[in-house]
Amino acid sequence: MGKRWILTLLLAFAPALAQTRGGELKVAVLAEPPVLDPSASTSQEIPRMLYDNVLQGLVKFNEKGEIVPALAERWQGSPSSLTWTFYLRRGVRFHNGAPFTAEDVVFKFNRARDPKSGHTHPEYYQDIQSVEAKDPYTVVFRLRQPNQDFLFNLARPDSVIGPKGRVEEQKTQPIGTGPFRFVAWERGVGVRLERFEGYYEPGLPYLDRVFFRFLPDANAQLAALRAGDIQVIGLGVSPENALVLQRDPNFKVVTGFTTTEITVGMNNSRPPFNDLRVRRAMEYAVDKKALVEGVMLGFGTPIGSHRSPGESCYEDLSGYYPYDPARARALLQEAGYGPNNPLRFTFTLAAPYPYERRLGEAIAAQLAQIGVQARLEVVEWATWLSRVFRGADYQMTIIGHSEPNDIGIYANPGYYFRYDSPRFRALYAQYLRTPDPKRACELMREMQRLLAQDAVNVWVMNAPYIAAMRREVMGWWPNQPTPSLNVTRVYLGR
Amino acid sequence: MRGFLLRRVLLALATLWLASSLVFAALLLLPGDPVQAILGLEASPAAREALERALGLDRPPWERYADWLARTLRFDLGESIRYGKPVGELLGERLPLTLGLVLLGLGGALLLALPLALLALRFPLWDLALSGLMAFLQSVPTFFLGVVLLYALAVHLPLLPASGFPGFGEPREALRHLLLPALTLALSRAAILFRMARGSLLEVMGQDYIRTARAKGVPEAWVLVKHALKPASLPLITLLGLEGGFLLTGAVVVEVVFALPGMGSLALTALEARDYPLLQGLVLVMAALIVLFNLLVDLLYGLLDPRVAYA
Repeated sequence: MGKRWILTLLLAFAPALAQTRGGELKVAVLAEPPVLDPSASTSQEIPRMLYDNVLQGLVKFNEKGEIVPALAERWQGSPSSLTWTFYLRRGVRFHNGAPFTAEDVVFKFNRARDPKSGHTHPEYYQDIQSVEAKDPYTVVFRLRQPNQDFLFNLARPDSVIGPKGRVEEQKTQPIGTGPFRFVAWERGVGVRLERFEGYYEPGLPYLDRVFFRFLPDANAQLAALRAGDIQVIGLGVSPENALVLQRDPNFKVVTGFTTTEITVGMNNSRPPFNDLRVRRAMEYAVDKKALVEGVMLGFGTPIGSHRSPGESCYEDLSGYYPYDPARARALLQEAGYGPNNPLRFTFTLAAPYPYERRLGEAIAAQLAQIGVQARLEVVEWATWLSRVFRGADYQMTIIGHSEPNDIGIYANPGYYFRYDSPRFRALYAQYLRTPDPKRACELMREMQRLLAQDAVNVWVMNAPYIAAMRREVMGWWPNQPTPSLNVTRVYLGR
Repeated sequence: MRGFLLRRVLLALATLWLASSLVFAALLLLPGDPVQAILGLEASPAAREALERALGLDRPPWERYADWLARTLRFDLGESIRYGKPVGELLGERLPLTLGLVLLGLGGALLLALPLALLALRFPLWDLALSGLMAFLQSVPTFFLGVVLLYALAVHLPLLPASGFPGFGEPREALRHLLLPALTLALSRAAILFRMARGSLLEVMGQDYIRTARAKGVPEAWVLVKHALKPASLPLITLLGLEGGFLLTGAVVVEVVFALPGMGSLALTALEARDYPLLQGLVLVMAALIVLFNLLVDLLYGLLDPRVAYA
């Protein structure tokens, strides 16, 4: 109660702060999503524009990556972690005017946990045994077994809630409860949002309109920003352009962490990378510091396992394999490779990702220094997805894994790394099922160490988040704990 | 004339059928599928199956092809998989922009190339400089030219908008947005037109009737414009027809630099998403336009060259 009183007081004085109401913000994004419903596609471009801005779930991530209330005011887990009760915020309306109630929540999660419904990631919800409305503002989830990631999964973009019964239309005309309402999706051009007058947090949002424009070309983005056609390049500014804009008094560059681990994927089931010595040789041969300094001009943080520094229970293993070409050579020799019989393989790069492509080229050059011949092959995205990702028909590749909290992919031996470790699977199961958060954290750290030990992949760096904007744009999220260009509290200064 | 038209129309229909069927076959051979492109990296097998069923992709290819053919014969291009919108509607949104861009670009190129070619022929001193300039324009990559013009005319001298397209609802604004990309296109396509015009003008200038005209005392400039230009423009028209067809999707580089939602970028998106209804629809419309361009060229020939008759 006391907390709420303070909040009300703060909000009452909010206009006295510097935030100014009104205006239109035009933001460049890199790509156009296939649909606009995060439960219909795992494309990160959808939450980038719509998460929390338009579509909300029971809980959400704040800019530090903490889980905070959204449509649920508060919640309670039973001591066994098997029953979770959510108390919903009252008086919330969808953008179409319909009231938000427990029925919408029940409909959403019954669909999500049904593997035949076509909902993305049904595995996030498979431990939900039942979801019931106790009254219009109380929802009870019963789980089959404890699931450490339950709350986390409810905060994910996949778990946003739309009006009951609305499924097909959400794909192109999303309706949510966020501070902005969806206005139009101009195919190939952009997505338009407008301030939702009925938003439940008084005074928010500050902007009247937001226009996310699809601008895939870096030069076009920069020119549009300089010409004033857009005020923000929302993500993916190239390091060179970032340095140039940093020096210009009209612009500022906002950078922070993401949950993207740029990963040199190795096919653990096939020669030459089914040999631990060869994989370890790769770890010693890649100079991550030089990659951050030389290729990314200082943007990005070296990592040593499949987790990002901004995430909880992160274990810093970036020094686990220090850069040591002599040791790499020795390991290769042990595995039977040498000057007369050099290690040769194909290194597959996916065309559309600029950071990964240039890193891949630099890594191939670093490997050449220890006598390894990596033949670079650039393939187009659909080909990469079907050949590398689905078919595991590759030797080495590089890609950014942008989903938060995704270490569980290593528990799946069919995943494209083809990492088959009963020990890892056991650790992951223990992590998921333990009701004790402290123990879970310990296990999370142990999983990271095990992956590094087994040298499953070369984790190069946590991809930097780099956005650029006009000086007067205020309140932009510096970090990306989940892919989201959150404009709820963004305003135009002066 | 009627027989000629009938033959052309039949040939055109065969071309259309062949082109769009080839696209269907080619997409079957390519790795990757539309379901993956929509669902993304981490989609579960269950979600894949559900979407495949919903889109009808679980049926055998020949059945889908027969379906598509039957629908197309009723002038229904079906629905895009990637966008969940009727293909006809998507094309209707993109085509005006692309046609506008191609017409402005090629028109500009012609306006640039023809007078310069005449100048080059009239004043031999200019010839070298102009030929050099055109060789330069031809060798500069379009995206580079586009970015240079973008910075010059939209950023430093903010005369024109840098990117995007508001639609033809506001004709003045639409034209302003098209000017820079059209100029880029014009400059990069002018070179080849210039060389063609110069070459064919030179050839015509060697003909007997030109000598006769000169002997009659017709001024040199008038010889060029009145007697040489018309016959020399025949190969130019062929070239314009070819370029127009190519630029329907070939302007994709310019579209990307200026963030224009045109046919080229639509085709690229369709290909990346393995969106076969959209790609087939695109190819169909594109092939139809190219056939139309060729027909126009042939008819123009008849007008410009009295020796050509259609029977």
